Amino acid sequence: MITCLSNVATQVGVGRIMGGSKFHYPVGKPELPPEEELRWRVGLLEKGLAALETPVKEPKVF
Amino acid sequence: MKVLHYLNQFFAGIGGEEKAGQEVLFIPGAVGAGSVVQNALKDRGVEYATVVCGDNYFHEEEEKALRAIRTALEQFQPDLFLAGPAFNAGRYGLACAKVCSWVRDNWRIPAITGMHEDNPGTKEIGRHVFVIQTGASAASMQESLKRFSLLIERLLTGDENAIETFRAEHCLPIPRRFTVTAGAPDYVRAADLLLAKLKGQTYESEIPRVEAKQHAIPNLTNGLKDATVALVTEGGLVPKGNPDRLESSRGSRYFKYSIDGRQDLRRGEFEAMHTGYDTSTVNQDPDRIVPLDAMRLLETSQRFKKLHDHYFVTTGTGAMPSKMEEIGAGIAEELTGSGINAVILTAT
Repeated sequence: MITCLSNVATQVGVGRIMGGSKFHYPVGKPELPPEEELRWRVGLLEKGLAALETPVKEPKVF
Repeated sequence: MKVLHYLNQFFAGIGGEEKAGQEVLFIPGAVGAGSVVQNALKDRGVEYATVVCGDNYFHEEEEKALRAIRTALEQFQPDLFLAGPAFNAGRYGLACAKVCSWVRDNWRIPAITGMHEDNPGTKEIGRHVFVIQTGASAASMQESLKRFSLLIERLLTGDENAIETFRAEHCLPIPRRFTVTAGAPDYVRAADLLLAKLKGQTYESEIPRVEAKQHAIPNLTNGLKDATVALVTEGGLVPKGNPDRLESSRGSRYFKYSIDGRQDLRRGEFEAMHTGYDTSTVNQDPDRIVPLDAMRLLETSQRFKKLHDHYFVTTGTGAMPSKMEEIGAGIAEELTGSGINAVILTAT
């Protein structure tokens, strides 16, 4: 789960949690030019996919 | 004191499924489960009567059934209303919940029912109804009826503390918001709670705490090389114009929308319905909530095998946790049915 409320996600027991950019656009960075924003987003999602491949037993913030 | 007890056709001993169309029937005296409660209260000078209604009849003719129950209430003038216990019987549980809520709201007498925590009736419980926790089947009948009798005795004595203790120990916590009166105006009460929290003192909010059910966390057995990954969001992103009328708050549904053949989500083609956050930045580029463009690039570079051809969406704001749980279970069921191995969920 990509969210800015990682404490809430932890409390409800989400397994893999990643901090997003902002509460109202977790996978956006509007201050960057479009190509750079996309590059940033790919990097974030790469990190998310790596988290999916990491075994966890309890909520973990990546 | 007078007690009126609502039973379905089965627990009143009238018949099984073939009698589920039974109209409302008023019976002076106790029958079935009611006899046990009456017996437990025999030294209390309780006058007992029963209303029976078939499970199907109640749901097919709810208004007529409630009218007939009103007539029984007018005639018998009970001081206390009981229904069930319904255990995990869905139709019966719903009927017990609705009848008790209706009686409590319209007749202003204590209403008690009993059911298992998974009974769908728990979702229909109105204000101030006691819902005694029971087992899933009638095997817990004796124990459940003991609890009914114990609560009735406590209501008779009027000992508020004993009633609250009973509620805490034996009643299902119904995650609903009710109006309660605090000893101080709301702003004082709020500041008091905050101060107590800051000082590390114990305090209790009037709003019941809903504990999330803990689930085992799944792990991938293989890496993502052969995995299909799906995108899910609670951010309310829908095709422009919101064709399915997804609620922007207090969501009760989820939808899936095709992203097959799309490389990214374009401004003007999708928009967010969500009163819980400022949607303007997402509306300028919907990939900021459903990151399709980035996932397509990662799919092309074979970081994982395939991106699922639909994304799933609901609105996670102002909603009942129980409803969100239902929505989550629905999405999860569809995903597992489609052979999805992993999910990226974006949440605001």
